[in-house]
Amino acid sequence: MSGILGIYAFDELWSVSRFLYYGLMGLQHRGQEYSSITTWRDGEIYTKASEGLVEERFTESSIGKLKGYVGCGCVSTSRGLGRPITVSKSEVTLTLYASGGLIDTKFHELAEFLADEVRRSDIEQAGLTVLEKFRGGYSFICITSDGRMIAARDPLGVKPLCVGGLGFDLAVLASESSALDVIGADLSRDIEPGEVFAIEKFDIRRGAANCKRRAYCSFEYVYYARPDSIINGIHVYDVRRRIGLILSEMDPVEADVVIGVPETAIPFAMAYSQATGIPVEIGFYRTGRSMRTAIRPTEIERLIGVQLKLNPIRAAVRGKRVVLIDDSVVRGTTLRNTVYLLRKRGAKDVHVRIGSPAIRARCPYGTAVPPEDELIGRALTPEEIAEVIGADSFSYLPVNKLIEAIGLPGDSLCLGCFTGMYPDIEVV
Amino acid sequence: MKVLLVGDGSREHAIAEALARSVKEPRIYALMHLINPGIARVCERSGGGYRRGSPIDPIQVADYAEELSVDFVFIGPEEPLFHGVADEVERRGIGCIGAHKAVAEIEMSKAYMRRLMWKYEIPGRLRFKSFRSIEDAVAYISEYAESLAIKPARQAGGKGVKVIADMQAYLSREKREVKTKHAERVVKEHMKDYTDIEDKILLEEKVEGPEYTLQCFSDGETVLSMPLVQDNKHAYEDDLGPETGGMGSICGKGLTLPFITMEEYSRSVEIVKRMVEAVQKETGELYRGVVAGQMMLTDKWGPTIIEMYSRFGQPEGENVLPLIETDMVEICEAILERKLSRIKLEFREKASVVKCIAPLGYPERRDLARGHPIAADEEAIARRGGKLFWSSTDMVDGVLITGGSRACEIYAEADSIEEASEIAERCIPYVKLLDGWRLFHRSDIGAPRSLEKRRMLADLVREIYQYRERRGILGRTIDWIPGRGKIEL
Repeated sequence: MSGILGIYAFDELWSVSRFLYYGLMGLQHRGQEYSSITTWRDGEIYTKASEGLVEERFTESSIGKLKGYVGCGCVSTSRGLGRPITVSKSEVTLTLYASGGLIDTKFHELAEFLADEVRRSDIEQAGLTVLEKFRGGYSFICITSDGRMIAARDPLGVKPLCVGGLGFDLAVLASESSALDVIGADLSRDIEPGEVFAIEKFDIRRGAANCKRRAYCSFEYVYYARPDSIINGIHVYDVRRRIGLILSEMDPVEADVVIGVPETAIPFAMAYSQATGIPVEIGFYRTGRSMRTAIRPTEIERLIGVQLKLNPIRAAVRGKRVVLIDDSVVRGTTLRNTVYLLRKRGAKDVHVRIGSPAIRARCPYGTAVPPEDELIGRALTPEEIAEVIGADSFSYLPVNKLIEAIGLPGDSLCLGCFTGMYPDIEVV
Repeated sequence: MKVLLVGDGSREHAIAEALARSVKEPRIYALMHLINPGIARVCERSGGGYRRGSPIDPIQVADYAEELSVDFVFIGPEEPLFHGVADEVERRGIGCIGAHKAVAEIEMSKAYMRRLMWKYEIPGRLRFKSFRSIEDAVAYISEYAESLAIKPARQAGGKGVKVIADMQAYLSREKREVKTKHAERVVKEHMKDYTDIEDKILLEEKVEGPEYTLQCFSDGETVLSMPLVQDNKHAYEDDLGPETGGMGSICGKGLTLPFITMEEYSRSVEIVKRMVEAVQKETGELYRGVVAGQMMLTDKWGPTIIEMYSRFGQPEGENVLPLIETDMVEICEAILERKLSRIKLEFREKASVVKCIAPLGYPERRDLARGHPIAADEEAIARRGGKLFWSSTDMVDGVLITGGSRACEIYAEADSIEEASEIAERCIPYVKLLDGWRLFHRSDIGAPRSLEKRRMLADLVREIYQYRERRGILGRTIDWIPGRGKIEL
């Protein structure tokens, strides 16, 4: 998982590194393991890549050293995408950041191919040739050695990418609109699936690749994206509220309190509560900084994350029948831990509701899903899961209800992790 | 009847055509700096003619008018007004449509315009500070982290304005640096050629909202307003990119725009009328010619003056001039005789869209945009329902070349802005550069998504200014400073 950001200042007076720094903080939820920024000024490239959070790894001095009015950067969970991919083909050097995954190849290949194309054709045509050749679910932003910026979104539109501007001065491209909000830029629109958006000194060039179908990642709405982002024209917060509403209509239970697992599931719980009249409570308090536990790379890190993040508030749960809402279940280990903590602090009943369908299959588009034999939703029925995690009841959001909650046609979504069926891959 | 038109842009091309439509069949003459083939053609067809010269030179213009013994002179652009061309023409006893230098000051000096608004307590005024030295401006910028518009104190061809929202404290340092450097640039670049004004820099509070232009005729007593027009200042689509003189504009259908109410229209007219009254009172001179408010619907005031124009906007003029149904020569005569109150100013019930076409390089590097041979298939454009106005072009040794700014404009009209925009789009491919250099334009101007965005912005702003009005704090800036108490700025 990654978040990418590109900023192009039309007036050379600007220095964009601090805008990139704060913009990436607005994308940090998409990957907390690696952070990187690259800037460009008059043919010179300045780069810093580091393990860890943007906020921790970039100091005043490193921001000052990243000079220039053109720049891009990323946050990522993966070492491979957490650093800039730099390639040189004769006189063209490209620095590229990507989010997502390619089928049967690597982003380094894509970058080399793009550099070759940039050398021989118009910039938007170069981008289009790349989109037509490389299959997968991805978006990328790169800077050429002559200071042009090329951004593109795969023809399926799996990974989000949007564009906006700050007055007459900056154009901003980002995985999510939250990055634009943080730096005060106004969202113009989503980059369309198969669109190339290239900024040159005196022009913005666009290209549209041939798109057979769309396959927007549905998991963005369930988990990845920030609730204040707008993706594919849909407010993420609205989707999360609708999910809570739908959950409240399914498998009704008698309960005293609704609790959302922080932080993603809180809008689910609030909508659930408003629909049922069961009061919502802050059930947990966090120790340490905000953490996205589900995308931590190792089991032990995820468990540490959950234990630190989820200290149950006794007064909110003791003696109560609890509806516990979480966004998704992968292996079930962290959820088991959570239910156990609630019981230990005196919860009487614990009914678990999940704001997404069972995860049954891998993601070919760059999301690290564990091997299929580690997915609890593939191995066990809801009743069995309830036993394993120690809950009184357990249920998922069905796939058709997720589609309804997102509000886009089902055939324009990628639901591969829930169904094992992918938009452009034959299932063996 | 003979008329002398001063100026060579698309605005003057549209004025020439409006004059040529008159039943009085005037012979039209033009004094141009660069030769605009559209104006040249109108002049020739009307039995008039044209001359290359300096439109800002009062003597040249007045001499040419005398030589031709024209019935009146029509001045298109602002610079001739600032140079006193209208004063000289009238001194020779020839009628002139165009503001005298003294009253054109409402456009020439942005500081003068603001002072006037405060002195006469005209609604839609913004807080401002003007500076005569760069040091004072920089000292001010360094002290206050504010969202600002930094402008050359004088109208400088629409160039040199920078608007910076400084809302995030964590980005304030970068912004302060850019504000300071830009202020220096305003003095060193944009103001360096102007010696006719003492103020150098104007800092204004930044406001947000949809912009629109209200153009009016004035004879010194009566102000007659035209339909609202909205220009699009960003160079590139999706409202991105550097500020330009305008990449295209939309109008109609009817007096107002889809996102401005009739009440807001009336208030805007009232503001422009009060501006005219104020400047007449201040100078003791009549305002005769065209006056326009370049306005914005803001959360502070509702209708707010951003700048004043002492002429038609460009491209905004091209939206309304083709729609005027009333005889243009009659309007001009009424202005000269101070009988504008007797004119019933009428417009055809159509929406209109103007799309500007510029060579790559515009607006930042006009040197790169200049000198490319250009051609347009005007018949094909007409067949598709559009019309071409030539703008920044010149005829050199029989070859038409670009002048560095927007080279031409496509005008289209229909029952809705969206339809007019589509017609214009179909015409765009018929304009070409002949040397392989690229042209660009904005296909989003007048498109449904763009209109929707403006409607949403207007709704947002309207909610706030109406709340302010209900609270009785419209246009006021009230603050509370610890230790000092409640203050009003």
